[in-house]
Amino acid sequence: MIRKEAIDIVCNYIKNDIIISANGFISRDVYSSLEKNTNFYMIGSMGLASSIALGIALKKPKRRIFVFDGDGNILMNLGSLVTIGTLHPKNLIHIIFDNKIHESTGGQPTQSKKINILKIAKATNYLTYSVNTKKSLENVLKKISKSKGPILIHVLIKKSNAKSSRVDISPKLIKNRFMNAINK
Amino acid sequence: MNEKIQREIFQYLKKNYIKNFVGVPDSTLKHFIDEGLKDKKILIANREEEAIGIGAGMTLAGSPTLMFMQNAGFANSISTITSLIQLYEIPLLFLIGWRGYLKNDAPEHEKIGQIQPHLLKNMDLENKILTNKTWKKNCDWALSKLKKNIPVALIIRREFLD
Repeated sequence: MIRKEAIDIVCNYIKNDIIISANGFISRDVYSSLEKNTNFYMIGSMGLASSIALGIALKKPKRRIFVFDGDGNILMNLGSLVTIGTLHPKNLIHIIFDNKIHESTGGQPTQSKKINILKIAKATNYLTYSVNTKKSLENVLKKISKSKGPILIHVLIKKSNAKSSRVDISPKLIKNRFMNAINK
Repeated sequence: MNEKIQREIFQYLKKNYIKNFVGVPDSTLKHFIDEGLKDKKILIANREEEAIGIGAGMTLAGSPTLMFMQNAGFANSISTITSLIQLYEIPLLFLIGWRGYLKNDAPEHEKIGQIQPHLLKNMDLENKILTNKTWKKNCDWALSKLKKNIPVALIIRREFLD
């Protein structure tokens, strides 16, 4: 399974939930899979998708918030797992698409090969799942519909040259329509 | 700035518009933070950039947020402020304790303290200094900017040595 296939599966399941997508190819894939007003596409500030999602989850306890994160991204802000585990928002679902590389910058290795992200998440009070096939990803997504978060799904993906086109909405418009959509 | 005024500033901002106080502790701001802790209104993050991410999320959810931090942590966060807060025009209020304002502050604060006003200027982040006399006027200025979607900074100078 490559990143775009995994993102398509999650997007197909999500429908109207709030999405915060990490910068780089992840936001581009989400934009091409499930473009909607309740998506916050990051184009910079690498590492902070889960922190932004935490802030929203605390203020919107009745909405489900999905974070589309990468291995390089979460390794830049591991402290976020600690804060999320401490505050324990029930409505936060954190998905880490892990290809062991910084795909957006040319495929350089990350350090996720030799450490266990799932164990770190478990130690910080997440309910955790790990999947490496399309079928197992679909099954986990069905399974979590009644579970209480924070939930972390570690999705092991293969590297690929496939990439989606850039998000061509201005950052200001991304923000304005996101705020209008989630605060109405 | 004396303890009583720092406590008043917290209560004033809480009463007027600000709903959340997120950041990383700083000794210059300790009475402000202590007042918030007594009120159970403070969320402490591990790093300033993480705090800014959380504060941005709260603001996106329609809940106005103040970020408190030391100027060293502010400097750590420059790229986050330019590529998230300023780029998307997310109205966050920064409250920054200014170490290195006094020339004989601890050595690790000297250089960063010297460049602090230049950093703010080069980033085009509008800001004002809070003093015992000007704090209320400058807090009102900051709140009026936030309501126009403009992120701004308020600075408290470290005017003592320990």
